[in-house]
Amino acid sequence: MSAVVAELRRNRLSLSYVIVAVLLILLVVAGGFLSDRFLTWRNFGNLFQQLVVLGMVSLGQTFVVLLGGIDLAVGSLVSASTVFIAHFLEWRPDLLWLALPLALVAATAIGALNGLLTIVLRVHPLIVTLGMSSIIFGGTLMYNKEPGGSVPRSLADFSYAKLWGIPVTAIVLVAIFALAGLWLQRSRSGRSIYFVGGDREAARLNGLPVNRIVVMAYALSGLCAGLAAIFLTARTGVGDPRIGTALTLQSITPVVVGGTILAGGRGGVLGTLLGVLLVTMLNNLLNFLNVSSYYQWVIQGLIIIIAVSIHTTRRRQ
Amino acid sequence: MAPLETPLPRSRGVSVASVFERYGLIVFLIVLLLVAAALSPTFLRPANLVNVLTIAAPLGMVVVGQTFVILVRGLDLSVASLMATVAVLATAFRATTNDAIPMIFVAAIAFSAVVGFVNGWLVAKRDVSPFLATLAMMIILQGVRFAYTGGAPISTLPPGMGFLASGRILGIPVNLMTLALLAIVFGVVLHRSRLGREIFMVGSNPKAAFLNGVAPDRVIIFCYVICSVCAGIGGLFLLGYVGTVSNWVGQGYELDSIVAAVMGGVALTGGRGNIFAALLGVAVLVIINNLVLLLGFPIEMQLIIKGIIIIGAAAFYRTRLA
Repeated sequence: MSAVVAELRRNRLSLSYVIVAVLLILLVVAGGFLSDRFLTWRNFGNLFQQLVVLGMVSLGQTFVVLLGGIDLAVGSLVSASTVFIAHFLEWRPDLLWLALPLALVAATAIGALNGLLTIVLRVHPLIVTLGMSSIIFGGTLMYNKEPGGSVPRSLADFSYAKLWGIPVTAIVLVAIFALAGLWLQRSRSGRSIYFVGGDREAARLNGLPVNRIVVMAYALSGLCAGLAAIFLTARTGVGDPRIGTALTLQSITPVVVGGTILAGGRGGVLGTLLGVLLVTMLNNLLNFLNVSSYYQWVIQGLIIIIAVSIHTTRRRQ
Repeated sequence: MAPLETPLPRSRGVSVASVFERYGLIVFLIVLLLVAAALSPTFLRPANLVNVLTIAAPLGMVVVGQTFVILVRGLDLSVASLMATVAVLATAFRATTNDAIPMIFVAAIAFSAVVGFVNGWLVAKRDVSPFLATLAMMIILQGVRFAYTGGAPISTLPPGMGFLASGRILGIPVNLMTLALLAIVFGVVLHRSRLGREIFMVGSNPKAAFLNGVAPDRVIIFCYVICSVCAGIGGLFLLGYVGTVSNWVGQGYELDSIVAAVMGGVALTGGRGNIFAALLGVAVLVIINNLVLLLGFPIEMQLIIKGIIIIGAAAFYRTRLA
């Protein structure tokens, strides 16, 4: 809790968080009135299971956006990682202990390569990660066009396991967010991400290892994509070369709704967590109300515009 | 008439550096053409070249618009979604005769202009980043389109729509003629008019532009409107080519149009670029896609090559001008 308070104070973003939190509470209350299935223990269990993947990818996106960058390769990276994990495990189900770390290392390395390319080539991250996304997607499709592979029982069980009625995956997700928040606020390397995102030249003049910090942020985004892929493969049981495609753009919504600005330097992971909750709960409620997914898209677009407008208006004042 | 000794400063992208950029691209294009010709004897035949360019025409139209937006430090992710929405809009008239075609065009252009205005308004007046504003627009248009069609669009189209894609007037394909017309009109606006100069000013330094009496907001909104209108027209031509309406007409064009513009030397940092060079970028992109097939590589290879090229091209122009 103290970490949460510290994050609020240091970023002077408390109002952004309060706005999102109030919206979230309103949503829960409204949901309780509008649908008798919404405010149930069972629904919230399902909900948390659903938001784990989006939460992980959005967390990774947050690091990069805080730095003033963007990672459009996460979706392809998640897809590629699920394909790798599922096919490796189909080949050797007994090597679970090897397959998962290997996937994480590979995803982290690809993320780091994104960061490295933005520095070495001095090309806008949008272009670098877009190009990388295309390369990864093409490579994955060349390996396998259809969903395939399988996972051992133990991994599948993990995705449905519950502790005191709460999905274990959700506990893991919250724990990772808490760790990330603590790291960003309390550690020198974490704080330096804000510094570099706020003013890269000033950070360089102050002797910060800017290049290393940039590579680290993109590497973390890759790591988060790898973790998301593990959750996803555990739940679906296959590696699907297209499963992550939509995640790229979906991962940006919670970040900006949570008050992290695309220009970098301001925001935090708590906002992203609230953003993920808001987006997922809203879609969940709309499903219960039988609102077609078509209108859910319209609402998602409006949410982006409204959230960003609110946050920019506050900045101007 | 201006005296010859004091030429007007030409901050319009027609500098020595940009000429180098253009020649670099032309050399690359010639190399690609030679490789393609060596691999397939039929490639350089006029019929095949016209064929390849015909496929590229709708993308070219989108690139003309995308160039305007990138020049003012923006980008438009909503173009592909708009193309599909315009295609669906074209079926809304349930027209079976060609009399409806002018009406379809007017409606499509008006709708696109409104979309572009909203994009530009969000960016210029509400300070929403171009990425997020056009991303939101992309999702909203997608939702509206699917809600209207219920997921399964009808394909009632005037028979003449196909003429837009495959028809010829005096032996010249209609869609290439339209692309040329769009490029020349907007090329003149951009590179030879006062408004064009203002666009370059806003793109290279919005504050200086403001101090020089230019209203950056209005210029930016104008660019987004042009972009959407070009995309809407491109959508109708692509529809004519595909022949049937789907909810995903033009999918991928948002990225391809950005890739082509960047390859053509339009700088994402704004204020630098040339419409005709951007169109050369389209030609390079299409020929590369064609080459992958000629070489017998799997089609997924296009994605990998496209990825390498976009990063490489961006790095190339960066170092050229550094």
